[in-house]
Amino acid sequence: MTPARGPLRLIPFLAAAHLRHEWVLTLCLVTALAAVISPLLVLLGLKHGTIQTLRERLVEDPVFREIRPTQTREFAPAWFDDVASWPGAGFLTPTILPLSSVISVALPDGSALFDLIPTAPGDPLLLENGGAVPGEGEVVLTAEAARRAGVASGGEIEVRVTRSRAGRGEAVEARLRVAAVLDPRAGSLPRVYAPLPFVLDVEAYKEGYAAPARGWAGETPQPYPSYDGAVLLLPAPLQPIVRSGLAINTGFGRIAEIGPDRVRELTGLAPPEGFACYDLPAPGAPVTASSLRAVDQKLRGHSRVLLPYVRDLALRAGDRELRPVGLSLDASQAALLGLEPTPWPGFGGRLPEGGALVGCLWPAADGLAPGATVDVRAPGQAEVSFFLRVAGSIDLDRPVVPAELMGVLRTAAQRAVAFDRQAESFRMARGGYRGFRLYAAGIDDVPGLYRRLKEQGVEVVAEVEAIERIRVLDHGLSRLFWLIATLGLFGGTGVLVASLYAAVERRRRDLGVLRLLGFARRHVFFFPMAQGLIISVLGLAAGFGGYAVLAGAIDRAFAMDLAPGEAFCTLPGVYVPLFCLSTLALASLASLVAAWRATCIDPAEVIREQ
Amino acid sequence: MSGTTASMVRLEGLVKTRSQGGSVFELRVPSFEVGPGRMVAVIGESGCGKSTLLDIVALVMEPTGVERFEIAAGPSGPPADAAALWARGDEDALAALRREHFGYVLQTGGLLPFLSVRRNILLPAGLGGEGVPAGRLEALAEGMGLAGCLDRMPSSLSIGQRQRAAILRALIHRPRLVLADEPTAAVDKGRARAIMDDMHRLAREESVAVVVVTHDTDLVLGRADAFYSFDLEHVSPNMTRSVCRPCPGGAP
Repeated sequence: MTPARGPLRLIPFLAAAHLRHEWVLTLCLVTALAAVISPLLVLLGLKHGTIQTLRERLVEDPVFREIRPTQTREFAPAWFDDVASWPGAGFLTPTILPLSSVISVALPDGSALFDLIPTAPGDPLLLENGGAVPGEGEVVLTAEAARRAGVASGGEIEVRVTRSRAGRGEAVEARLRVAAVLDPRAGSLPRVYAPLPFVLDVEAYKEGYAAPARGWAGETPQPYPSYDGAVLLLPAPLQPIVRSGLAINTGFGRIAEIGPDRVRELTGLAPPEGFACYDLPAPGAPVTASSLRAVDQKLRGHSRVLLPYVRDLALRAGDRELRPVGLSLDASQAALLGLEPTPWPGFGGRLPEGGALVGCLWPAADGLAPGATVDVRAPGQAEVSFFLRVAGSIDLDRPVVPAELMGVLRTAAQRAVAFDRQAESFRMARGGYRGFRLYAAGIDDVPGLYRRLKEQGVEVVAEVEAIERIRVLDHGLSRLFWLIATLGLFGGTGVLVASLYAAVERRRRDLGVLRLLGFARRHVFFFPMAQGLIISVLGLAAGFGGYAVLAGAIDRAFAMDLAPGEAFCTLPGVYVPLFCLSTLALASLASLVAAWRATCIDPAEVIREQ
Repeated sequence: MSGTTASMVRLEGLVKTRSQGGSVFELRVPSFEVGPGRMVAVIGESGCGKSTLLDIVALVMEPTGVERFEIAAGPSGPPADAAALWARGDEDALAALRREHFGYVLQTGGLLPFLSVRRNILLPAGLGGEGVPAGRLEALAEGMGLAGCLDRMPSSLSIGQRQRAAILRALIHRPRLVLADEPTAAVDKGRARAIMDDMHRLAREESVAVVVVTHDTDLVLGRADAFYSFDLEHVSPNMTRSVCRPCPGGAP
C-alpha cells in the first residue's frame, strides 16, 4: 500500500512524483542540462578521439618509436645492459658496421645485395608488422625482399657472404629458412632480418675472421702486442747520426741515453758493464712490432739487444700482486748480455705458440717446480684471467715472462682480450658493437630516451618532433576543453541552482504540508537534492544520447580519413563514470541552496496560507 | 469536559506573544484540553488567535511560555511533554509526534497536487511505516463517497471531494488527534454541514480527539462536545491580548 517506509525513504518517491507531475518543466530542465552535457561530451570525445587517433597511428607503427644512431662508434656490452634497464626502453639490440650490413641474396635471375639487420626476441618492428622473431638458421624478410627473392613465408633463401683477403676474393654460402615476411608498412627496402649471432658472424667473416660454428674459414683474431717503449743495449755507443735516425719513421718519438739503474727500472735487468743504454719511448702511441722491426732494420751490423717494455703492469695471483718482467732472448742475445737464453724464443714480433706465451721463470725463492701453473688476472678493458706455467726459476724477486705476453696484456688494457685455456692462447674478444637498434616502449618514452642518449654524447635521431607536436596539440585542446567545460559547468550548475530554487519556492505550500504531516527539516532538505539528482541522471542520459548521435555523425563525416576501428570522436570508458560522478556531485552541490531554502519553510505559514 | 486522565492534549498556562509592525498580540490560554472521541470547537472572530492556538497544539509553533503542555502519545504510558521538547529544540521528536499521532484538515484540504488521491490519503500511514489494513481505505472512502475518486488526481476533484479526501488522509493512520482549521471555509453551507457531520461521526467511530477551528458557530452547534472562545482586550494602542476560555455552559 505504501510506496516506501519511513520519511527519508519516501523523499525520492515524492521528488520523482513531483517532477513527473510538472513534466513539462522537468523536460525543459532536462533538455537544458542535456544541452550543456552533450556539447561537452562531444568536445571531450573530439579531443580524445583526434589525439588518440594520431597517437595510435604513431604508436601502431614502431618506426615512430625507433631511436637511431647517426654515427658509428663502439658501444661496450655494459652500455647495452645499462640502456636496456632505462625506463621506457622497449627493445635494444646491437648492430654491426653499416658497411658490413649487406648480404648477397640469390634471386631467380641472379643475385642482389640486401640490407642485413640483426634482430632479437621482442623486436617490435617484426612483431608489430606481422612477423616473428627468426631463430637460428632463419630470417625474416621485408615484403620487397620477399618479392624480389620470389619466396614466401616458410620458403628458403640462399645467401652469400663475400670478402677480399690478401687480394683474393672469398665467399661462403648459407641456406636460410624464411620465418616470416613483414607487412609492407615495415619498410619499402629489401631487408633481411637475422638473429644477432648470424649477423655478427657475417661481420667477422667480412673482416677476415673465421666463424668456426658455421664452418666459415678465416683468421682467428689474435691480439697484437704493444709496448710503452724499448730499451736498446749495445756494447758500444751509437754514432749520433745513427742514434738520431732511430727516432725517425720508426714510431718512436725520441731516443735518450740512460744509465743502468733506469734499464733495471724499465726491464728488470742490469746491463753488462760498459754497455751503452738507450731508451726509445713512444709517448702518446703504443709501440708495435712494426716499430721494433723498423729500429732493428736501422741497426743492422750493430751488436745489440732491443728489449720492449711495458710500464706499470701488475698481475694478481690470488691476493698477491706480481710485477712481471717481459723478456724474450734467443741464444745470441743472451750471450751478448751474459745471460741464459729464455725457455721461449727470442723476440720476433709474432706470438709464440704451443703454450710458450704463458711460460715464465718464477722467482727461485718461491720454490715452484717447473710445470706448475699459477692462476693470474690482468686488468684491462675486460679483466683477463689466464695462467702462467713455470718453465724454470730465476734469481729475481719478479717473475720473467715472454715480452710478447707483456705486449698482449698491455693491448688488453685498450681492447678486450680473452684467454683460451684449452689452446693456451689469447684472442681478441668482441669489445663492443658498432651501433644499436633501440625502440621505446611507448611514444611518450621516446623524448626521454632521446635526451638521455644525447646527454651521453650519442648522436641519435627520433620522431621527437612529431611526438612533441601531438603533445602540444593535446595540451592546447585540453586547455580549450577545460575552458569550455568550465563555462558549461557554470552554466549547467546555474540552471540547476535557479530551477531547483524556483521549484522550492513554487512548492512552498506542498513542502509545508509535508512538514505538517511529520517530515522533519532534515527530511525536506533532501527533497530538492533528490530532484537535482534525478534531473541530472535524466540530463546525463539525454546528454549521452545526444553525444552518441553527434559523435556518429562526426565519424561518418570523416569516415574517408579514418582507418577501420578509428574514430575522431570517441570517449574512453574511464571518462564515462568520471563524467557521470562529476555531474551528480555538481547537481548535489547545486541543490544545496534549494535544500537550505526548503528547510526554512515554516509549516505554520502553510496553515494560514491554506 | 473529559476527565484529566483521558485527555489527548492538555495545555495549562499558555502564553504566546507575537509582534508584527510595532503592534504586539498576546494569546493566553489558561487551560485547554480535548479527550478521545470528542470534538472540540474553537470559535472566534478573525484575529482572535484561533490559528495561533491551532499552530501551538499542532506543534508547529513554539509557545512563549507554558506551564503544562502534554500530548498523549499512546493509550497507556505517560504523555509526551511537548513543553520540554520545545525547550530542547527536539525537532525530530516533535515531527515524530505529528507524524504518528496527529491528523490535519486544512481549509482547502492541503492535498499534494502531484500525488493521486489514494497516494495522498496513504501518505501519513507510509510516513509512520505501519501501513494500512486491507480494505480500510476503501471502506472509509465508501463511507465518504469517494470510492470512485481514489485513483484520480486532486485537481480533478471538486472542493468538497478534496475536503473529504483530506479528512480521510487525516484519519487513515488512526491518529489520536485531528486538527481542522476552517475545514468548511471553501464550501457551501450544505456541503459544510455534511463535512462537519462526517468529522463528528468519524471522531466517535475512530475514538479520535478532534479540534475544529471555525468562525461559523452554527456549523458546530449540536456537533461539538465542547467550545472554546476568545475574550479580546486592547491593553494599549499597540498591544492586544486575547484569552481563550471554555464557553460557559458548554456552548457559545
